[in-house]
Amino acid sequence: MTTKNLLKIDYEKYSLSNGLQVILYPDLSVPVAAVNLWYRVGSANERNGKTGFAHLFEHMMFQGSQNVPKEGHFKFIQEAGGSLNGSTSFERTNYYETVPANYLELALWLESDRMGFMLPGLNQEKLDNQKDVVMNERRQRYENQPYGLAWEKLFSNLFSQDHPYSWPTIGWMEDIIKFELDDVKKFFEKYYSPGNASLVIGGNFDRSNAQYLVEKYFGEINGTAPIQEVIATKQSLDKSKKIIYEDNVQLPRIYLAWHTVKAFHEHDAVLDLLSDILTSSKNSRLYKSLVFEKQIAQDISSFQYSGKLDGSFIIASTAKPGITLEKIKDEITKGIDELISKGITENELMKAKNNIKSSYIFSLQKIDLITDHINHYNFYLDEPDSFLFDLSRYEQVTREQIIHAAQKFLTKPNLELNIIPKTM
Amino acid sequence: MIMLNRSDTPTPAKDLLFNIPEMKFLKLGNGIDISIVHKEKLPIVYAEIIVFSGSRFDPSDKKGLGYLTSLLMDEGAGEFDALQLSEEFEKLGSVFSVSADHDTTILSILSLTENFERSLELISKIVLKPRFEEKDFQREKKKVLDRILQLKDEPSFIASSAFERRVFGDSYYGFPEIGSAESVARISNDDVKDFFVRTFTSSNAKIVAAGNLKETEIVNLFDKYFNEWNSSSDNNQYFKTPGRNKTSYYFIHKSDSAQSEIRIGHISKKRDANDFIPTKIMNTILGGQFSSRINSNLREKRGFTYGANSSFHYYKETGLFEISTAVNIENTGEAIIEILKELNGIREHISDEEINFAKSYLIKQFPSRFETLNQIAKNLESLLIHSLPIDELTNYTNKVKSATNEEVRASAINNVLPDELVIVAVGDRKKVFEQLKQISGAEPIELDMYGNLLT
Repeated sequence: MTTKNLLKIDYEKYSLSNGLQVILYPDLSVPVAAVNLWYRVGSANERNGKTGFAHLFEHMMFQGSQNVPKEGHFKFIQEAGGSLNGSTSFERTNYYETVPANYLELALWLESDRMGFMLPGLNQEKLDNQKDVVMNERRQRYENQPYGLAWEKLFSNLFSQDHPYSWPTIGWMEDIIKFELDDVKKFFEKYYSPGNASLVIGGNFDRSNAQYLVEKYFGEINGTAPIQEVIATKQSLDKSKKIIYEDNVQLPRIYLAWHTVKAFHEHDAVLDLLSDILTSSKNSRLYKSLVFEKQIAQDISSFQYSGKLDGSFIIASTAKPGITLEKIKDEITKGIDELISKGITENELMKAKNNIKSSYIFSLQKIDLITDHINHYNFYLDEPDSFLFDLSRYEQVTREQIIHAAQKFLTKPNLELNIIPKTM
Repeated sequence: MIMLNRSDTPTPAKDLLFNIPEMKFLKLGNGIDISIVHKEKLPIVYAEIIVFSGSRFDPSDKKGLGYLTSLLMDEGAGEFDALQLSEEFEKLGSVFSVSADHDTTILSILSLTENFERSLELISKIVLKPRFEEKDFQREKKKVLDRILQLKDEPSFIASSAFERRVFGDSYYGFPEIGSAESVARISNDDVKDFFVRTFTSSNAKIVAAGNLKETEIVNLFDKYFNEWNSSSDNNQYFKTPGRNKTSYYFIHKSDSAQSEIRIGHISKKRDANDFIPTKIMNTILGGQFSSRINSNLREKRGFTYGANSSFHYYKETGLFEISTAVNIENTGEAIIEILKELNGIREHISDEEINFAKSYLIKQFPSRFETLNQIAKNLESLLIHSLPIDELTNYTNKVKSATNEEVRASAINNVLPDELVIVAVGDRKKVFEQLKQISGAEPIELDMYGNLLT
C-alpha cells in the first residue's frame, strides 16, 4: 500500500439541527469504537483574574450529570473495558473514550448527558473537591517539578498581559482558589453547547446505526447562539528581554523564545523541520555541537509551538556544571548564524522529512489518536481528511525555505529565560 | 421524535468475537528463541532483542555499570563511529532505542517495513561489533554523572529509589539502575567492555517481532545478520529474597517542596505465584485504576492529590507491592492514615459487586492490549521475562472469569500486609516530620536522598 492510500480517510461529515458537527470514520479492522468530542473552548477564552477555568471545568465534566452519578462516567466506561480522559489547551477541550465496539451506545449516552444535562448534577461539594484536585495537579506537574514553571514564565513574558496565551492553561493558583459555582454554570451555558462542538466516531461500527444513535442521544439537546471567536493582537518584541528565575535545580537552564506564526501558516511546517534539524538527533546541528562535541550542555531541545492565534519557536538547553548560560547562548546563536550563512544539506532535510513521515505512519496504529487527529484537522482546516495535506506540507519544504525562516524569525529580538539554582 | 428515557443506562450490543493474534514460537539458526506475530494493516515492523543482562550483574562497588554499558552500546559499531551510526538510523526514520533495567537490556526497533532489513543490519553491528571507544565512554560517563546530580531535583525519583532501598535492602533491586556518583566514578571503559562480553550473549537473548512481514521473512533476516552471534555465559546471579520488617516510617528532607511524595508498600510474590490473577483483581479494586478505593478516597473524596494508585510490580526474582502518590504537603499525615485504612479495609471486606466490576474491567479491556505492535510485543516480552507458558495470554480471560470471590479476598489477606510496610515521605522536614509523628505507632526516621539511614 502506498502512503497515499494509507493516509486517505474515508469519512462522512454532517451536522445535527442543533449545530453539532458529526464525523464518522468506520474502520472494521479494529475491535473497538473511539468517541472523540471537541468543544471549541480553552484557556484562550478566559480573562485575567479568571484563569484556569476551562481546565477546571474539564474536571467538573467527570463529576456526573443528571443521569450519571459522581465518578459514574469513569465507572461505566471502565466496567466496559474502555479507556477515557480529557484534556484542555489554549483553544479547545477534548473528551474521549475508547470502548469495545459493542459499547458505543454507552459512550454516546455518557457524552450526551453531560453535554445536555450537566447542571442538575452539579453542587458546591463537587466543585470544592475538584478545586483541591486541580491545585494539587498544579503542584505536582509544575510547582514541584524542576524547571516546572518555565512554560508559564515564558508565555506570560512573551505575550502581552491581555493576550490569551499569556496565562497558563492550568491557571494561576490565586484564580483557581476563587472560582464559584455560579462561574461554572455560566461557563457551561456559554460554551458547552452542541453548536460549539464536533463529535468524531472512529472504529468498528455500522454507519447508519451510528447516525441513529447520535441523533437519539444528541438530537434533543438545545443549540445556543454561536460563540464569538477569540481575537488577539499581533505580538512582537521591540528588543530582547531577559528574565532570571531561581528554582530548586542543580544545573541552570536557558530558554530562548521567538514570536513566529500560527498553526498551518505557510512557515509553520518549515519551522517544525527547522526544529528537527537543530535538535532532534545526535547529528542535529545544536545537539551535535553543544552536547556531543563541546560537551557544554547536558541536553538541548526545541520546538515550534503553534495554535490558532499565534506561535512561538523555543529552544531550551541545560548547562553542564561550571558552564555559564552565556556560553550556551553564544553557541546556540553561532549554530543558528551558521545555518543561515552556510545553509543546510539535502541530506539534513531528507532525514527530517523521513522522521516526520515515519512517525506519522507509526501514529496510525491507534484509533483514538486517529479520531483526535480528525477533530484537529476539522478544527483548524475545516477538513477532516487532511492527513495527506498535512504530510505534504512537510514534503514540499525546500532548503531555501528553512534558511529563510531561520533568518526571518530567529534573528529577531527574543525572550531569554534563565532558570538558575537558588542562592542560599 | 424519539422518546428517550435518559435514566436508563444503554445495554451493550452483541459481543464482538476477539481472537488474540496468532503467535509463532520459532528458533533462529544460532538457537535463539524468537516469537513472532504477523500483522498486516500498516507497512511497519517492530522487533526487540531482550538480553538478560541488566544491573543485577553490576559489581557491588560499581553500581550503574549495566546502565552505562547500555548507553555506550550504540556509540559506534563496525565501520561507523557514534555519529555515523546514528546518521544511518536517522536516514531511515526508524526509531531505535536501548533500555536497561535490573533484569534486562532491550534493543528495540520500530521501522517502516521497507527499512526493516537495513535497521536490523545496523543493530547486528551493535550486537556483534560495538566499538566502545574511550572518548565516547568519557562523554557518556560524564553525562550520567551530571544526570545523577540532576536527580537530586526530582522528588518522585528520590521517593521511589529510597523506598526500593528500604524494601530490598542491599540486594541488587535495592539500588537504582543509574548507580550513584561514587559508584559510577569508579567505572572504567574496560569494565564496560568486560560487562558486555560477560552478559550480552546469545544464550542470554530472546527475540520478539511483530508487524507486516511473514514469519519466514523475519526469521531469514535475523539469521542473515545475527548468525555469528553465538556466545554463552553463566546467567546465574544469586538473589536472596530480603525479609520484611515491622512497619516503619521514613522521611527525606526536601526544602520548599509544594507537595510530599509518598511511597508505601513491601516486597511481594513473584509473577509466577499461583494467586497472580486473584491478586490482580484485588488490586484493581484497591488502587489499580481511576475508580479504585485509594484514588476515590484520596482524590475524589478528599482532594489531597491529583492521583493515587497501587500496583504489584514484577521483577524476575521477586515482586513489589507499592502505593504511590504526591499530596499537598499539609495533608501528608492524613493521606498516609487514609491509605493505611484502605490497606486494612481491603483485607476486611470486598463486595461481590466490586469483584464483578474488576473482572469485567480486566476481561473487556483485554483486546485493547493488542492494538499496537509495541503492545503486542510487550505481552510476549512479559511471558519471556518471567518464563511463563503461552496459556497466560491465550487463557487469560478464562482465568479472570474463573477466579472465585474467596480467592480474591484471600489474595488481599496474603498480599497486603499493613504490619510490614515501608512508608517513605519526601518533603520539607518541618512539615512532614511533625505530621508523621502524630500517626499512632509511628517513629519517623530520617533518611538521606539515597534511602540510607542518617546517623
